[in-house]
Amino acid sequence: MLVKKAVGFTPALADSRWVKGLLIATALGFLLLFLVLPLVSVFVEALRRGTDAYWAALMEPDAVAAIKLTLIVAAIAVPMNLLFGVAASWCIAKFDFRGKDVLITLIDLPFSVSPVISGLIYVLLFGLHGLMGPFLKSQGIQIIFAVPGLVLATVFVTFPFVARELIPLMQEQGNEEEEAALVLGASGWQTFWRVTLPNIKWGLLYGVLLCNARAMGEFGAVSVVSGHIRGETNTMPLHVEILYNEYNLVAAFAVASVLAMLALVTLVVKTVLEWRFGAELAATRH
Amino acid sequence: MAIQVSGITKQFGSFRALDAVDLEVRSGELLALLGPSGSGKTTLLRIMAGLEFADSGSLLLNGEEALSLTPRERQVGFVFQHYALFRHMTVFENVAFGMKVRPRGQRPTSTEIKRRVMELLELVQLAHFADRYPAQLSGGQRQRVALARALAIEPKVLLLDEPFGALDAKVRKELRRWLRKLHEDIHITSVFVTHDQEEALELADRVVVMSQGRIEQVGSPADVYDRPASAFVYEFLGQVNRFDCVVADGVARTANGALSIPADGTVRGPAIAYVRPHDLGLSPSAAGPGRVSGIHVVGPDARIEIDLAGLPLEAEMDRERLTALGLRLGDQCAVHIDRARVFPQP
Repeated sequence: MLVKKAVGFTPALADSRWVKGLLIATALGFLLLFLVLPLVSVFVEALRRGTDAYWAALMEPDAVAAIKLTLIVAAIAVPMNLLFGVAASWCIAKFDFRGKDVLITLIDLPFSVSPVISGLIYVLLFGLHGLMGPFLKSQGIQIIFAVPGLVLATVFVTFPFVARELIPLMQEQGNEEEEAALVLGASGWQTFWRVTLPNIKWGLLYGVLLCNARAMGEFGAVSVVSGHIRGETNTMPLHVEILYNEYNLVAAFAVASVLAMLALVTLVVKTVLEWRFGAELAATRH
Repeated sequence: MAIQVSGITKQFGSFRALDAVDLEVRSGELLALLGPSGSGKTTLLRIMAGLEFADSGSLLLNGEEALSLTPRERQVGFVFQHYALFRHMTVFENVAFGMKVRPRGQRPTSTEIKRRVMELLELVQLAHFADRYPAQLSGGQRQRVALARALAIEPKVLLLDEPFGALDAKVRKELRRWLRKLHEDIHITSVFVTHDQEEALELADRVVVMSQGRIEQVGSPADVYDRPASAFVYEFLGQVNRFDCVVADGVARTANGALSIPADGTVRGPAIAYVRPHDLGLSPSAAGPGRVSGIHVVGPDARIEIDLAGLPLEAEMDRERLTALGLRLGDQCAVHIDRARVFPQP
């Protein structure tokens, strides 16, 4: 019966070949228009005056400072959220406790709050006229318009990426393998390192890549706390904006191209890893 | 190693999973914990392994109090219902895990580990599959890997949670025989949980029948089947015809008077009588009180439904016997009871 039905459907599917073609064309057209074209135009604009102008724009001290600062902020924010994300998803997926729903909602908060508001919160908290401003000033600690503020804002905005990636994965995997490891004589640490972590490593990697991409590309929250001090508190996205507003298009697109390349590298790394460890990946995902 | 369970109680919220359970597992035996879902059998098994905490009571492993010990200190082998194989490890790595995580002083050398693992894989007939991942194995093969992994730590007790629950009927039967044989070879004290009475009766040295967090009966398979201690055990083990009746002068009579069953002297008043389908004899008789209302032939067996003056009964016999009797649908027949049990109405 079932087989007959399936056979009956096949001609219908074959007949609608033009529908298939139309759908594929629409999808490809959309991708081309909204993803590929802008990406290409970034590089075209950046290289409009040749490679010398391109390199000069990147080697300019303020640009170098912006690239450095972006890397520093990401290098602090990403590991922090990696640690937090793993710990939070471990708690949420493997244990039952009061207030679990509240914790899940809190993790999602940065997604639902506008990044500009996130930045503003830190200004209101740590700014000169903020809640803790006078105290911080008396201690000689500057957070807003300085690197700590940039890190805080970035951490807040990229907070959910790792946890959001891991929670469903860990919930789906359940507790049985951990229990098996415990019964086989593994300690808590051994269980985490040898069983839990290997099982989530692909999800974790993906979460970290996303988190990193967002950390380096974040504009809104960082813009509010940065103060736009050239060569000091400008990250790459902020630097791009300043250059663009100064009609320095080649330089703006040159710095933007570095950010775009980051996205491409992320994609390539992910693909290479999937290709390299394909068998293992299939095994862990069954 | 012997296990002594006494007064173990476990409460989940308002649900009492185990109610002061006492049980002795003898050294070297294969014991089945049998019961419907929610009877507490898996909870009891997990408490023995240290995966669940008891609210009160005591657990002696080889005479030593074990409730305060961690799972690793108890040295039990545990086979999970869904195997819980480490999915990112090969079969070899799965089996080696228990040896590799031992503290440095007690850890065997890597050649020794390799030798042990291959030995165990030979034992479970999976030596060729050492490099496969669990996802590349069939259910029965995964089950055997899980068993080899549990045995690798040289456990003193082997605990199995619904070991054949997730397998299809044919594999289940094969694996059941194989496990029985394995137990005869290595004689490790083993406890397995099942809701399948056939599995318990075929495999175990002794069967523990559980219901609602209590133990109903402990005995050999023949014991619990032939001499059920309670109405629950009778109903749970095998097919059964059940009728309400009243006992007077050592005879139980059904309300419509169609059936009278000899009852032992201890029961009096309202009672429940149980008759197994194969203890129900039929003979063709035009004046008989019963009418054949259905015949189902399943392989070599025949199940015959009888309508006894409004009382539905089920009889079971082999197909040849049915042919010899010549009973057909709609025939009248006489019903006699070869063996029955009468329990007082609860």
